[in-house]
Amino acid sequence: MANEAQAIAGAVPAGDGWAMPPETPRRVALARLARRNPVGVIALLFVVAFCALGLAQVVSQDIFGTVLAPYDPRDIQAQDQFQGPSWEHPFGTNQRGNDMFSRVLAGARISFLIGLMGVTIGFIPGALLGIASGYYQRWLDYVIQRSAEAWSAFPLIFLYLALITAFGRGLQTIAIVIIISSVFGGSRVLRAAALVMKQNDFVEASRAVGASEVRILFHHIVPNVMPIIIVGASSVFAISVLTESALSFLGIGVDPGTPSWGIDLFEGLNNARFFPYLVIFPGIAISLVVLGFNMLGDTLRDVLDPRLRGQLG
Amino acid sequence: MWRYALRRIAFLPVIIFVVSVITFVLLRVLPDQDPAVLMAGQNATPQQVQAIHELLGLDKPIVVQYIDWMSDVWRGDLGETYFGRRDIGAEVLRRFPASAELVLLSLIVSVIVGVSFGVLSAVMRNSSLDYIVRLSAVFGQSIPDFFLLILLIIIPSIIWNYAAPIGGYVAPWDDPLRNIRIYVPPSLILGIGGAAGIMRLQRTTMLEVLGSDYVRTARAKGLGAWNVIIGHAMRNTLAPLVTVIGTSFTVIFAGSVIAERVMSIDGLGVFFLDSAIQRDFPVVQFLVLYTATVVIVVNLIVDLSYAIIDPRVKYR
Repeated sequence: MANEAQAIAGAVPAGDGWAMPPETPRRVALARLARRNPVGVIALLFVVAFCALGLAQVVSQDIFGTVLAPYDPRDIQAQDQFQGPSWEHPFGTNQRGNDMFSRVLAGARISFLIGLMGVTIGFIPGALLGIASGYYQRWLDYVIQRSAEAWSAFPLIFLYLALITAFGRGLQTIAIVIIISSVFGGSRVLRAAALVMKQNDFVEASRAVGASEVRILFHHIVPNVMPIIIVGASSVFAISVLTESALSFLGIGVDPGTPSWGIDLFEGLNNARFFPYLVIFPGIAISLVVLGFNMLGDTLRDVLDPRLRGQLG
Repeated sequence: MWRYALRRIAFLPVIIFVVSVITFVLLRVLPDQDPAVLMAGQNATPQQVQAIHELLGLDKPIVVQYIDWMSDVWRGDLGETYFGRRDIGAEVLRRFPASAELVLLSLIVSVIVGVSFGVLSAVMRNSSLDYIVRLSAVFGQSIPDFFLLILLIIIPSIIWNYAAPIGGYVAPWDDPLRNIRIYVPPSLILGIGGAAGIMRLQRTTMLEVLGSDYVRTARAKGLGAWNVIIGHAMRNTLAPLVTVIGTSFTVIFAGSVIAERVMSIDGLGVFFLDSAIQRDFPVVQFLVLYTATVVIVVNLIVDLSYAIIDPRVKYR
């Protein structure tokens, strides 16, 4: 970076004629952005709150072995079963007498983990593949894009059912499917963006001063397509949360002992007619998290890259 | 065009062959557990397991097993389920109409809702209707369809003490009312879920087309607004529309598994699901082949329809 900067700085005459217009202070700019996108701010707050809760649950459940909730979500209390919402149990209790509020809090763990997994192990490597595919083109492009088409054409649930048959249910099987579904999540859009980006003069310029291809890719292409990566990560998080809850709801997701909103819905279904709160609260939890990430993604797309407005739908 | 179509159709068996080989190998090589042990139970003796192996032909080399299976499928013999020893072919035929009706109805709903609201939203851009439609699209993509389906069951049952009839498939021409009561409500939910994508795309392409010169010309020569929209603008949004309908089909096809489970519809999706949970290999093997074939054929139809919609599309 230093060499290039010097090379460019040397070519530009330093002097008063090059003064930049005064920059708006970041705090003011952010406040203005927030005023223009109230929905985005609410979504952001919600996403941050959910991630904090998810992280807190991961730390307390996986490190300290206790659930961060007023009651133990797995403790069987037969005498307390099917109590309606009250001050003591705001979301009521289920057929085992578990406090539903505690179950909803505890369930944030698996949703957070799965979303995080989809983004970090699936989407980000996939995004890099997509960028590489648009940048290098040739055979790499062909292989990556044809695989992306094949995966997106075939409904994932059927692949998952085949995997369940082969491996049985469990976290590894879900992990495989979440990762497969996220890998190609952004590859097509990012490929197109990289194709456009590599036509820019600054790419040619840094190649002329001797930058390597890998350097160009990571220092010039990737930062420039960052808005698309962030928006994609937001929607992949939402899709991963949705997928996990759907699979758990069908009884083929995480182990029944794990607190999960999908499992709560599955268990509540039989008694939902008489105790609707059993399905209402976990259902709202899933919907709000997915909605939060989708809304955040939409707002970020508008704010970060106005050129994309409308292009992605 | 015809040569292209013929070549694509000729290529179909090759893709299906590849899918069938992959599934077969996946289900024979990867499993951590022997299906014979699952069938015989935990306390089975090795002799019992061996007997089941011989009965199911699992002791033969995998290539021989594959050829046996394929030639049976070709002759229409899908074998028996591991659990319950039912005839898979008969089971598939019995369940097919229910699944097919659910998917087709949902697809019709999603096209009608998606296209009409997409066009309205584009024509009345930035109006309150546009805003509401776009907002509902985001909600539609965020609220899981299984949650909506659960609400669809419990709300009428709480308010009116109403429950949809359950049981075997009844064709719409035999008992229209019963058929409507079973299949229309889930189709509305699945269809509206699939409509979100169609609507968003239809709005975008429609806005593009409405800004083009020939639409202005058509307006200028005095054609009515809806005449221009339907007769001139719509036609040019058809190609991307067909693509997104193909995608919606995939979404609905996958969603039908969930809808069948929640609404207690005895279809192929539930059959697939239950067989996967029980690890009933022959059923899963066939149903993967079946779903892959459906998806591939739908994609082929989408590709071929471009040529009908837009004569400028040339195939080589």
